[in-house]
Amino acid sequence: MSAATKQGFARVQELYQDRTQRIKELKEEGKKIIGYLCIYPVTEIMTALDLVPYRVLGDMREPITKADAYLPSVVCPFLRSCLDLGLKGKYEFLDGVVTSHICDVGSSLSGIWRYTVKTPFHYNIDTPHTTHDTSLNQIKGVLKAYQTAMENFAGKKITNAKLKKAIILHNEQRALARELYELKKQDPPLVSGAETLKIIKVIQSIPVVEGNALLREVISEARTRKNKPAKKNARLLVWGSILDDTPLIEMIESLDANVVIDDTCVGSRPFFDDVKITPDLIDGLAQHYLVDIKCPRTFRARDFYAVKKNYLEDLKTRFSYLSDYAREWKANGVILQSVRYCDTHGYEVPQVRDYLKEIDLPGIYLEHDYTVGGLAPLKTRVQGFLEIIE
Amino acid sequence: MIPIYFAGIDLGSTMTKVVVVDESEKLLAYVVQHTGAEHRRLANRVMEEALSQAGITIDDITYIIATGYGRINVPFADKQITELTCHARGVSHFFPNVSLAIDIGGQDAKAMKIKNGKLIDFMMSDKCAAGTGRYLEVVAQTLGLSIEDLGPISLKSTHKVSISSICTIFAQQEVSNHLSAGVPLEDVVAGLHDAIAGRVARMARRLKVEPDVVFTGGVAKNTGVVRALEENLGCPVLVPSEPLLSGALGAALIARETALKAQAEGKPLQKVGRKLEEATFFKQDDGILSGN
Repeated sequence: MSAATKQGFARVQELYQDRTQRIKELKEEGKKIIGYLCIYPVTEIMTALDLVPYRVLGDMREPITKADAYLPSVVCPFLRSCLDLGLKGKYEFLDGVVTSHICDVGSSLSGIWRYTVKTPFHYNIDTPHTTHDTSLNQIKGVLKAYQTAMENFAGKKITNAKLKKAIILHNEQRALARELYELKKQDPPLVSGAETLKIIKVIQSIPVVEGNALLREVISEARTRKNKPAKKNARLLVWGSILDDTPLIEMIESLDANVVIDDTCVGSRPFFDDVKITPDLIDGLAQHYLVDIKCPRTFRARDFYAVKKNYLEDLKTRFSYLSDYAREWKANGVILQSVRYCDTHGYEVPQVRDYLKEIDLPGIYLEHDYTVGGLAPLKTRVQGFLEIIE
Repeated sequence: MIPIYFAGIDLGSTMTKVVVVDESEKLLAYVVQHTGAEHRRLANRVMEEALSQAGITIDDITYIIATGYGRINVPFADKQITELTCHARGVSHFFPNVSLAIDIGGQDAKAMKIKNGKLIDFMMSDKCAAGTGRYLEVVAQTLGLSIEDLGPISLKSTHKVSISSICTIFAQQEVSNHLSAGVPLEDVVAGLHDAIAGRVARMARRLKVEPDVVFTGGVAKNTGVVRALEENLGCPVLVPSEPLLSGALGAALIARETALKAQAEGKPLQKVGRKLEEATFFKQDDGILSGN
């Protein structure tokens, strides 16, 4: 077990400042650590094989120097940063890396990582991008092949019971994360947006069992602690591409606003739907990872021809969950944000904006370049937006 | 009855503006000075000058609002509001029917959609000097002209050139190329103005261009850019007599409204410790750099 003496928020802060701390201890204990990029690699299969999933993230505080040789400066700076850290040896403790076809740059990175960072084991899951029945069939096959590859790597087979247990453990994490978000429905929220991001980042950096224990501590502490977020005028929903560090959220929350709900992937996205326990467990995993997770990398309209017929209906099908979030968390404004050059989110922005206009929810779009500097002009925009919705 | 006063200070990247108004919105004093490296710190001097012009002291002022790029670091302001909201308010004072306000300053360009005197939407370009006052300053320097000369010179143009790059650095090269190819100066300058106007017009069109369109900021003093903007937007563009003041005036007017509203509601006016002194930098941790 971890020798951690700190608990709850203090432990979150400790692991946020060095998120490799625990994973390196586990490595020394002989555990195999598997890095995964994005939220599409199926972590339940890793857990079932007693491998420790560890989310590969970038570092916006570290200038990109080595990745330039492989990924040009006109592509996603988050992915460039991940590769940069890999090239600098900061992911040396990984025994394997699992990527998936998240976007074009992400899938290029997969191959580049394999040949340059040379993590001992590497697997790429070719996740389809639509939710048609054929795609659903395809991903079932893809996940079975992935399972076999992971079994070969671990040198053991996954039994049905073990996979079921892993799914239940991960579902427990999802339920706890939702419980954490429940605390943000209060006004003022019991947990700030920046704290939420740190908590989610940290639980993706430790084994699921430990993450669940930490979530329980944090939830109980948040309910009773005195030092909670102040009441602010605006309650915001933050939508968009990956935000794996806090500066942008802290900038927003330094103004008259609390971030009460998000639709981002170091945020609510991986947690808001459970994996269903199905007779063939792969079916439930396929449904979850292809259909249920809501990221623009998957086009989630079931019938393409219906989409063409009615734009508004299509918007409703795809984004009505945002209206639910805004209603349930009483958000009165939306920050749409994307890291520069993220085509996946960039192309989605006009449609999300159209949808927000339709439901009469004010929103503002910010593009940022995955650095900690350069936030002052964005601050003026956010403050201007808050003055409008005041 | 004792007269009461309100002030707005707009610390822009290039110019610092202070406006003092009274209870009836009458403009009592205004000062416009270069911000510069020193003046950003010494905004108190600009304020003092405005106070002496109005013949009052800082204690006579009921409420002070700071706006603009340097709004955070004004130790004598009671509240900070963005230049977006302040411009919208200031412009509406001069032109009550304004629907679209365009402001081109030293560091950025903004388009603001205004309805009934209130800001309802905006667009900003602020990533680089392209299409801002700085762009014109740099090019004027290259040409050995003063910034004031650019407007009148460009109005003489008959065949303006097309400047394809709005990047300040590359545009300089393009200017040199045109001049060495023998293109008359006025046609080159008119081309530069058109490049700026085109860029801001594209931004403005996303907010829908409807009359009245008002143009403010330092660049609005350039008659050549005003004409180019009218051509690009296809409608008349109104310019206040002192286009630099709309932000500071808006801040002063909002200060007045905030104070009068608090008075009417019988609520205390929230003021911070007001010190008419030099700004101290980097003491306030606004959380951006700490990461904690």
